[in-house]
Amino acid sequence: MADETVEKTEDTAGAGEEITETAASEAEAVPVASEAEAAPAVREAVAITPDVGFVKELISSGGADLKKCYQCATCSVACNLTPDASPFPRKEMMWAQWGLKDKLMGNPDIWLCHQCNDCTAQCPRGAKPGTVMNAVAKMTISRFSKPGFLTKGVGNPSALILMMALPIAILAVAIGIFGSYSPTRGEMVDGKLQHAGDIVYGQFLGHWPIVGVFTSFFVLSIIVFALGIRSYWGALKAHAADEGQPIAGSGFGKLGPVIGEIFTHKRFGKCDETEDRKTSHMFIFYAFGLLFLATIVSTLLTDGPLLWGGEGVLSPYPTISVVKLFAYPGAAAGLIGIGLITINRFKHQEKLGGLGSYFDWLLISVIIVLMVTGIGSVAFRLANIGALAFPTYFVHLSAVLFLFIYAPFSKMAHMVYRTVALTFARVSGRDLGVD
Amino acid sequence: MADKVLIVGGGISGISAAVEAAEAGLEAVIIEKNPYLGGRVAQLHKYFPKLCPPYCGLEINFKRIKQNPMISFYTLAEVTNISGSEGDYNVTVRVNPRYVNEKCTACNDCVEQCGASRPNEFNYGMDSTRAVYLPHEMSFPLRHVVDKSACDAGCQKCVEACKYGAIDMSMEPQTVEVNASSIVFATGWNPYDASKIENINFATSQNVITNVMMERLAAPNGPTKGKLLRPSDGKEVKNVAFVQCAGSRDENNLDYCSAICCMASLKQATYIRDSYPEDSKATIFYIDLRAAGKYEDFLQRLQADENVTMTKGKVAKIEEAASGDVTVTVEDILGGGKIEATFDMVVLAAGMEPAAKGANIPASLTYEANGFIDADNLPAGISACGVARRPDDVSASVQDATGAALRALQSRAGVNKPLEAAEMSGGN
Repeated sequence: MADETVEKTEDTAGAGEEITETAASEAEAVPVASEAEAAPAVREAVAITPDVGFVKELISSGGADLKKCYQCATCSVACNLTPDASPFPRKEMMWAQWGLKDKLMGNPDIWLCHQCNDCTAQCPRGAKPGTVMNAVAKMTISRFSKPGFLTKGVGNPSALILMMALPIAILAVAIGIFGSYSPTRGEMVDGKLQHAGDIVYGQFLGHWPIVGVFTSFFVLSIIVFALGIRSYWGALKAHAADEGQPIAGSGFGKLGPVIGEIFTHKRFGKCDETEDRKTSHMFIFYAFGLLFLATIVSTLLTDGPLLWGGEGVLSPYPTISVVKLFAYPGAAAGLIGIGLITINRFKHQEKLGGLGSYFDWLLISVIIVLMVTGIGSVAFRLANIGALAFPTYFVHLSAVLFLFIYAPFSKMAHMVYRTVALTFARVSGRDLGVD
Repeated sequence: MADKVLIVGGGISGISAAVEAAEAGLEAVIIEKNPYLGGRVAQLHKYFPKLCPPYCGLEINFKRIKQNPMISFYTLAEVTNISGSEGDYNVTVRVNPRYVNEKCTACNDCVEQCGASRPNEFNYGMDSTRAVYLPHEMSFPLRHVVDKSACDAGCQKCVEACKYGAIDMSMEPQTVEVNASSIVFATGWNPYDASKIENINFATSQNVITNVMMERLAAPNGPTKGKLLRPSDGKEVKNVAFVQCAGSRDENNLDYCSAICCMASLKQATYIRDSYPEDSKATIFYIDLRAAGKYEDFLQRLQADENVTMTKGKVAKIEEAASGDVTVTVEDILGGGKIEATFDMVVLAAGMEPAAKGANIPASLTYEANGFIDADNLPAGISACGVARRPDDVSASVQDATGAALRALQSRAGVNKPLEAAEMSGGN
């Protein structure tokens, strides 16, 4: 629809009036004209207000080549994930060139796109639609995760030191107050010597301070996400209404199938050029799942017994324990997953005309640090090398906290916004029938 | 000192340059690699926008060549070396053997006896000829030629069949030296190899043809004698899709617009509509229709035909079914969504690739990024015209050739200096 609107405005100033008059007289003559009869004759003139600042931001966020697009629609044909009606990403490329921020931001298609980059590989102009979609996704995160400047900070390489300083400082202060910079080995707990001679990370920063710091930021992130979901859902509805397909009701009913498709990575499986991304993302996805479970189990073991006045089991856990049952496979899957993701990026570099955005690489890097230091912490502890174990553990905690604090503002937020958009797409009938 | 222009290429541009130069008094020599003159134009069914047969115009030019002793030409010839400078170029030309001499009357007795065959490149491989063959009915010169590589070893049937003694299998390649004051490159173009385009499946789909093949299919002297029958099963072609920019304006293929394909497809839509006026349909899938200036009338004429549909959106996927029908996938940009549509046959509006590209022309020519000769940066006395230097249609190429003829006239031995002297004396 938007294609014609600009032409109309440019045509003649009188055209709009003329059309309105025609519409009015038709309405009088045939009060109950069917939609099919009326539709072709009446086309409203709409003024387009391009947001130039938005276009510039999009260009600097990875969409550097978006202006090369000449609207041939090869991309829409190349894409295996687009619905047939109003397919993406051709229309998004036009909206991006025109700076139609609201249309882009309220458009669930941004997240139906999984950056297969089949479009980018086939694009005759090197406009890289896949990369532009990714840049729009980043800007969607920055718009709906408040405060927005945090996403800008996360996406800006020159702010990296500052962004890193926050979790490090928080942990350093926490250790200063609640823990010890020079932990000894083994300790007396309630008059009992535990783990004599062993490295005990609890001495460095104890259980409760860790729970306190991490839970606070976890809850904070959940609040930011909740607010983000609310305003994003509103924007999606407003856009749908704008496009003449208003949506009623919430999406909770569709959440089940969406989670189902996320667990099976069905959409990823439809990529042609980068089909290997399904495997790598699945590894990292389930790694996070397993590590999350390990955290839950560990918390239950430690704090659960307190509920009935029992005694919690403090870490370190023995190598064969229920926590490690989740933690070790999780760590292995994470290392494999993030390794494959990195390799794939380099492998597809030539075909896709680049390695990807800083925004993407920040998350990849944090996860690499997270996985390596996590495994390192365990290894150095078991090898009883304190000089390496404690610094490694500190870096690990910092990386995890980085992830927690910036989850709603970094690429990590895709897990929430994509889920919302996939749900909305199902509600509005824009799912491709991936089931 | 030479007083002669050597023209590389005997297509419409080269012929036009030769005729214009010769009629202005400069001797012209045409070097043509095919066994006939006329180039790509000889292979066209109709010209746009007048829809007249190109042979009409070619015949007039051939007559001008025949009547003018200032023009000579070599067919089956190629330039192997160029030395010298403006006013005094020495060009070595290798003339490959035709194995048929001037005694040939084109009676065709030899062909009837020949048992060996070869793909007919004049019809873009859609049929075949015998090893001895007439390039096409209107060939100029009207003389048969033997493709010795296709002959059965030691076969003399055609030699024996010829009652004029015109076939001589002992001919050897000859080397000719031409001294010329200037050189014009009118090397023209080759159709882009559509099998290089991804997801179009040109190589494996019989009923996906290129626009140049469509010209032959529609031509009365083509493989189907001008009947529009599809290659796989000979079914009448009544529902045809034209895929514009097939490989053109595409950095993965040809990074430029070939300038003629829109008009060519509009023209070819008339072939279909005229062949089966009752129930034929043509659908043109385009990014934008480029029918500039005077050609817009032609576009409007086609737009007025309700059996000709123009859909905005580039076809990025083509698949042929076992039935021979061909399905294209495209986004109908003006609101139709992503669609699949099935046709009897699909014509790819494939672009023009400069023949000079990768041809190792033995001269210090400069080329622009796409392989066209960069006419602004050539040595003195060398020029390029027609599609050798930019994609263009026939009428623009002919105009360009006239310009090349003028440049050749300016390069005549001794012309420049007296001109300067005249200017100086004029100043006094």
